[in-house]
Amino acid sequence: MLAARILVVGGGTAGWMTAAALAHKLAGTPARIMLVESAEIGTVGVGEATIPHIRHFNATLGIDEADFLAATRGTYKLGIEFVDWGRKGDSYIHPFAEFGAPIGGVPFHQQWCAARGEAGPFEAYSLPIQAARRGRFRRPDGDPYNYAYQFDAGLYAKFLRGYSEARGVVRREGKVIDVARDGESGFVRSVTLEGGEVLEADLFVDCSGFRGLLIEQALHAGYEEWTHWLPCDRAIALPCANVGPIAPLTRATAQDAGWTWRIPLQHRTGNGHVYASGFTSDEEALRTLLGAIAAPPMADPNRLRFVAGKRRRQWVGNVVAIGLSSGFLEPLESTSIHLIQLAIGRLLDLFPTRDWDPLDAAEFNRLMALEYERVRDFLILHYHCTERDDSEFWRHCRTMRLPDSLAYKLALFRERGVVVQYREGTFLEPSWLAVYLGQHVTPRRCDPRAGGAGAAAAMAAMRAGIAATAEAMPAHEAALGMPA
Amino acid sequence: MIRDIGIGIVGGGVAGWMAALALVRALPGIRVSLIETEGPDWSLGPFGPAEASLPDFPAWLGDHGVDEGALLRAARGSFSLGTAVSGWAAREADWFLPFGTIGAPLAGIAFHQLAARIRETGRALRLADFSLAAVAAAAGRFARPSPDPRSILSSYGYGLHLDRAGLAAALRAASGLEPAGEFNRAIVDGAVTAVELRDGSRVVADLWLDCSGPAALLASRLDQGWEDWSAWLPCDRVVETWIQMEGVPPPHAHAGAFEAGWQRTVPLVGGQGGALFHAAALLPDQPGAIPLAQGRRAAAWTGNVVALGAAAVLVEPLHGWNLALLANALARLIGLLPAAPGGPEPAEYSRLAAAEADSVRDFAILHYKTNGRTGEAYWDAARAMPVPEALRRKLDLHASRGRVPLEDGELLGADDWIAALDGQGVRPRRYDALADAMAEPRLLDHAERVRTLILDAVRAMPHHGATLRAEGLIA
Repeated sequence: MLAARILVVGGGTAGWMTAAALAHKLAGTPARIMLVESAEIGTVGVGEATIPHIRHFNATLGIDEADFLAATRGTYKLGIEFVDWGRKGDSYIHPFAEFGAPIGGVPFHQQWCAARGEAGPFEAYSLPIQAARRGRFRRPDGDPYNYAYQFDAGLYAKFLRGYSEARGVVRREGKVIDVARDGESGFVRSVTLEGGEVLEADLFVDCSGFRGLLIEQALHAGYEEWTHWLPCDRAIALPCANVGPIAPLTRATAQDAGWTWRIPLQHRTGNGHVYASGFTSDEEALRTLLGAIAAPPMADPNRLRFVAGKRRRQWVGNVVAIGLSSGFLEPLESTSIHLIQLAIGRLLDLFPTRDWDPLDAAEFNRLMALEYERVRDFLILHYHCTERDDSEFWRHCRTMRLPDSLAYKLALFRERGVVVQYREGTFLEPSWLAVYLGQHVTPRRCDPRAGGAGAAAAMAAMRAGIAATAEAMPAHEAALGMPA
Repeated sequence: MIRDIGIGIVGGGVAGWMAALALVRALPGIRVSLIETEGPDWSLGPFGPAEASLPDFPAWLGDHGVDEGALLRAARGSFSLGTAVSGWAAREADWFLPFGTIGAPLAGIAFHQLAARIRETGRALRLADFSLAAVAAAAGRFARPSPDPRSILSSYGYGLHLDRAGLAAALRAASGLEPAGEFNRAIVDGAVTAVELRDGSRVVADLWLDCSGPAALLASRLDQGWEDWSAWLPCDRVVETWIQMEGVPPPHAHAGAFEAGWQRTVPLVGGQGGALFHAAALLPDQPGAIPLAQGRRAAAWTGNVVALGAAAVLVEPLHGWNLALLANALARLIGLLPAAPGGPEPAEYSRLAAAEADSVRDFAILHYKTNGRTGEAYWDAARAMPVPEALRRKLDLHASRGRVPLEDGELLGADDWIAALDGQGVRPRRYDALADAMAEPRLLDHAERVRTLILDAVRAMPHHGATLRAEGLIA
């Protein structure tokens, strides 16, 4: 028998995504889902950028794209533009697509590297990048690219609340003031709300955010810090009005002690600055952010503090942590919602039964740890592979000792242009290529099969075809049904 | 006089010529030479005069300019839909590992999870009955799969059964190379500095590919050590067999266990190639017995020598994975050439090769560890043995709820593991909790629909003999 009484502690993006997915997947079972949240406790959800996996999440839940975009004031996203990362003045885009196509059985990037600058910029071989550079968007129709969304996460949570409540999820308003545990097993038995109501459950999903009300405060799962690799520990978020066309892109601009984001939504632009308090002050960081935004702020700055890392165990006993309670990786590659989604998927795959086989938790923890570590390595790559020497922060990042897993990957690419492949992991070869080549990590040697007269012609044809296709796409606003 | 031959291949069997063909096609600017060695072709292992492939091999041939029809004719070839595995789950029990999917998921729930719930209702169910490849193989039928993903005829693939010598000859012809001479000895000083031929001449190369089989004439000289798997795979002798036979060969291979080991059978047109794997302690003094030290080279690429085929990994071919291991090894190698002196390529190559070899080892061990031949000392001991950590985790998770976690670089897929575990009679304690959400009639209806589709498709399929005749492979 499955663990039928489920209590999600905390609303926000993680809480409502979890409630919605469980309500959908567990329909027809004896499962009863309750979510408790407090209006007094704010949620972190800001303008949120995602990766294409969110489309699968919505599709599985039967959510119509147009309804979703209307409800969340969402926009399309073809990738992330990274500005000033490898060198000041640089701009490259990490798209959700392969670059080019193999020529003569040789991977495209090897052909491109072998051409040594004769074949134009690498991004000329990516249709979504070419579309994004032109401010255009079209949903792929059999084309080999993918897309994601940028949307207001608060509105998404609200949208999913409606979805969940329509499917029987019961919402309780209230602040949790006490957690009762079983003396023998240590399992959480119930939580008590401020008004005195006691909520019992079999399975507790901790979506309470950074503090980890159940997973940490009650069960002491422990936290593994990664600040020596990812020194950014604070953020300021600040929305402003849209200026000019709405880009189908998230932008991440490197600053002296961190980076600023720009996420265009239909009705406003989300901005923020992720920075390292060890290298700059809060005042200086705010000045940097104000200097980076395109229009006057529409709200007071929202300040956040965090520690890069992950909960040592994300599933302990009958408590599963999802969202910020499970760990924090800065949103440089828009992975926050994806990590929520992965955790939900794995919880469903390993959905507990009342005998609480400890292998379920062990496997969940193994898979999530692997995922966090692989995203972590990918983030570190952005900081480490830079030629910037203009601030203490960048000098630190350039010279820091890498995790062995990343040092190995980087050595293979530098030497021979080989991207180390793995089975589990969010970012595949094209993502690594975009960042390596976008940040001037050039392989010393290429595939000896690359080159030849045919290769140059094939590459020229690819370039031209991509440019023409991108040119023929409608403007992003038109694709959204907005006035241009 | 010393000749520089670029990349030198030692061993002129299936492995050597397959390597030669892959290199010649991938690296047209690089000089490749092959040096033959004497003795039988054990380059993929002393596993009998016939090779069985997995379903990826026909595509490999196509990519390398080998005409499948011509090869089949030259190598007494026939088609394979998988392996029949008998005597392992129990003395009288058999199961089938198909080249294709088993069943179909319903509402995102895997078929084997649905099957577990159907069994819970007291109904008996065999996974193989829901695999088109398995049903067609049992009925002796074969036609090539359909490329249309909507057709149930796209739910399987096919492998080939080929005469070893015929396959080597076809690969050699496609490579367009002639052997550069016969191996006499290797001159080693930290690395292979030269190879001396029978005519006394010496050749040097930037890189050597050791395709000389278990003898590993080059790799064993630079030894980083050999990982011994005999604690898990108790067969230490093999006898190669050939039985002349008339009639239509069955469209599948066979692995049949007996008290002291197992018999491999790979049917060809006109006969059956095979190998008798056994433990010398139980079956001493078999005529023609060849010693078998199962394991893998600790580092497949060491210095200027890359071990390929049985020189790199020697594991009993319960399923036709030797050619796949070699094809993957060659693709990895080509993707890493040329290596810089002191560069990271050998380590990366060896890491990937080891991961893949170990995954195959574990799949083989699974057959022993989960055997149901109680009361036979050899098999009782195999059931009791501790297994490698990665396999332990698979078995534990499978027992817990029918899930099989895959590591990076595994050759076989989750479906193969599920089929093997289920076939061996290993039943998880629990199934997917979400399968309970499914109403029983909907579940049974789904299974029935899949079964009907498969039976209809197999009834409409030609017999293997008819397909072989139509392709000119039998009279």
